Amino acid sequence: MTSVAGRVRSVGPLVSRIAAALFGGYALAALASVAVLALPMSTPQAVLTGEMASFIIYAAAVIWVFAVRSALRAWAGLLVVAAPLLLAAWSVW
Amino acid sequence: MKTDQEARPDGRGLRQSMSDLHTWVGLLLGWVLYAMFLTGTVSYFKDELSQWMRPELPAQSGVPDQAVVAQRVADELVALVPGSPQWSLRLPDARNNSVYAFWRTAGTAPGQRGFGEGNFDPATGQTVSSRATLGGDFFYRFHFQFHYMPVVWGRWIAGIAAMFMLVAIVSGVITHKKIFVDFFTFRWGKGQRSWLDAHNALSVFGLPFHAMITYTGLVTLMALYMPWGQQVGIKTPAERQQFNAELSAFIQPGKPSGEAAPLASIEDMVRHAQERWGRDGVGRVTATHPGDAAARVAVARGDGGRVSMSPQYLEFEGTTGKLLAVHEGVGPAAETRGVLYALHLGRFSDTVTRWLYFLVSLAGTAMVGTGLVMWTVKRRQKLPDPARPHIGFHVVERLNIASIAGLSVAMAAFLWANRLLPETLADRANWEIHSFFIVWALTLLHGVLRPAKKAWVEQLWLAAALLALLPVLNAATTHRPLWRSLAEGDWVFVGMDLMCWALAALHAVLAVRTLRHRAKLRPARKPAPKTVNEPAGGAVLREG
Amino acid sequence: MTHLSSFILCLTGFAALAVAMDRPQHDLFGRSLPALATAALRVGGAASLLGALGLLVAWQGWALGLVMFSGHTSLGAGIVHGALIVRQRWVARSN
Repeated sequence: MTSVAGRVRSVGPLVSRIAAALFGGYALAALASVAVLALPMSTPQAVLTGEMASFIIYAAAVIWVFAVRSALRAWAGLLVVAAPLLLAAWSVW
Repeated sequence: MKTDQEARPDGRGLRQSMSDLHTWVGLLLGWVLYAMFLTGTVSYFKDELSQWMRPELPAQSGVPDQAVVAQRVADELVALVPGSPQWSLRLPDARNNSVYAFWRTAGTAPGQRGFGEGNFDPATGQTVSSRATLGGDFFYRFHFQFHYMPVVWGRWIAGIAAMFMLVAIVSGVITHKKIFVDFFTFRWGKGQRSWLDAHNALSVFGLPFHAMITYTGLVTLMALYMPWGQQVGIKTPAERQQFNAELSAFIQPGKPSGEAAPLASIEDMVRHAQERWGRDGVGRVTATHPGDAAARVAVARGDGGRVSMSPQYLEFEGTTGKLLAVHEGVGPAAETRGVLYALHLGRFSDTVTRWLYFLVSLAGTAMVGTGLVMWTVKRRQKLPDPARPHIGFHVVERLNIASIAGLSVAMAAFLWANRLLPETLADRANWEIHSFFIVWALTLLHGVLRPAKKAWVEQLWLAAALLALLPVLNAATTHRPLWRSLAEGDWVFVGMDLMCWALAALHAVLAVRTLRHRAKLRPARKPAPKTVNEPAGGAVLREG
Repeated sequence: MTHLSSFILCLTGFAALAVAMDRPQHDLFGRSLPALATAALRVGGAASLLGALGLLVAWQGWALGLVMFSGHTSLGAGIVHGALIVRQRWVARSN
């Protein structure tokens, strides 16, 4: 039992980071690609801008997740960026 | 927080985490990336490859008049697929001696998918009388959607692989930023170092290309990967139409009138476009509801000579040939996308630029290959018992063999199948492709059954032999042997034969080097100087 | 023709930039070159690369010119790098 707990404790943060990178990163990129629609530009141009920028945001998010000191920080960083994007996206939904 | 510190012991800096990220991201989809890179690299010559794979079509001495060809093939399509709501044909150009056309089959509603496709002879307008083959388009399509699976799945896998690649590039740059400062001064070290050096060199001098090609690859299919903005912002059919006009010169069929009316002269419409973009500057003719009073025709500009794929086209009323609209500009974001798209495909290239694309892309392939092999070289030294590696090591090692050496064998086999399969064989074009995969599967089997080093050497020699003998096979099975191609100035066939020999030589060099290479089991021991270093190009493969 | 001259300019440009660095100087000449020579090589190399860019852009415009320039510089740098390594090995073997 203790060995299982130990395993979870040692692998858990890594799994958490991987999830943050794969899914958190994608969610952030997707959110940004919608938030762009709030910018004062024509909708087709905004859609394309968002799509093109999303991959750079995704890559940056993944790098962030593995660069910071802890899994918790990684998630926190993603959430901090996601909050204003969510507001912007909300306004155009 | 405390638990996390255990997973990441103190003292591990940013560089170490980026290095780990680079290693694992690179390994996880490295095999997929290698296959995408290599088949994508040869796709820069896909039109030439298609010409070679249809030897019955004579070499093109010059670009035929596109207006005349367009009319010819349009007449054929009107007869061949009456009632089709949309067809589109790609006109011949300097690199392409057949007309590729696709059409929606009659009776399918716009949302539904019912497509047909064919290649037509510019000289007669009829379906080409050549062996059934997908030609170079097989490698091209495999490169981003694979095979034996729904197209969308393949494209998602390609997208995930490309995203991994992007992360691998960024993390690699962060890990090794020192290399950029003293690129010309880092020394080629010993053993594992030389692997790292080859990988570094290939990565660094191709870096602008690798980053560009990975990012632009994602951009080509971004509507699939990131559909959310479009779903939120683009809702009505009118908005959708306006959006599509920013991206593509394919006009979409609207509602037919139900009243029959023949198409006006396609030739005149293409003439109009030629006046605008030059004699060989027209790319594509698309018609919607041909034969109906509501017909529309779009004549689009070709991809040559401009670093943008954003749509430029003239829209005509189908029954009168009256010019309805000139579409020559798109919004700034759409234009950016057009440029990125064009950079990925490189269709604007002249011959020299195409070769530059090919060579740098080949360096990218070698970068992925050296990276994969490096994983095993690094870890072999740390194995407790090198004679009996653990299962993970074993799997990586064998997959490396099949996905690197085996892919060369399989690609060569695909070309052999093109020359050897009987022309009367049912479903012939697909059997060429099955041959490719059967051979590839056999190389995996061989790689598993043989000792690793022997498997590498044997497969590399096999690839070299298949490539070296391909010009011989071509001479024996077609009327276009090298001496005749040379005499007639048929540079596509000459180039193909010479390229086969060049690639055969490359594989032979790799085979010899692999044979001579001795696995370094203890990092302390100094290996013989002869096998330590090698120039970047020859360093793709050395495995013990 | 423009392709060939641009490529040669890129090749010589990178060769000059490489020789302007200390370590290749030691490998090639066994000593550091005078500061003036190094500076000249550096300026000459950069000028050579700029010349190649100028040629291509004048010929094909910025869009195509830049793409072609990227190709020539990648290949040129790769060849110079490869040549330095081959030479280093060759020296190591003959010793």
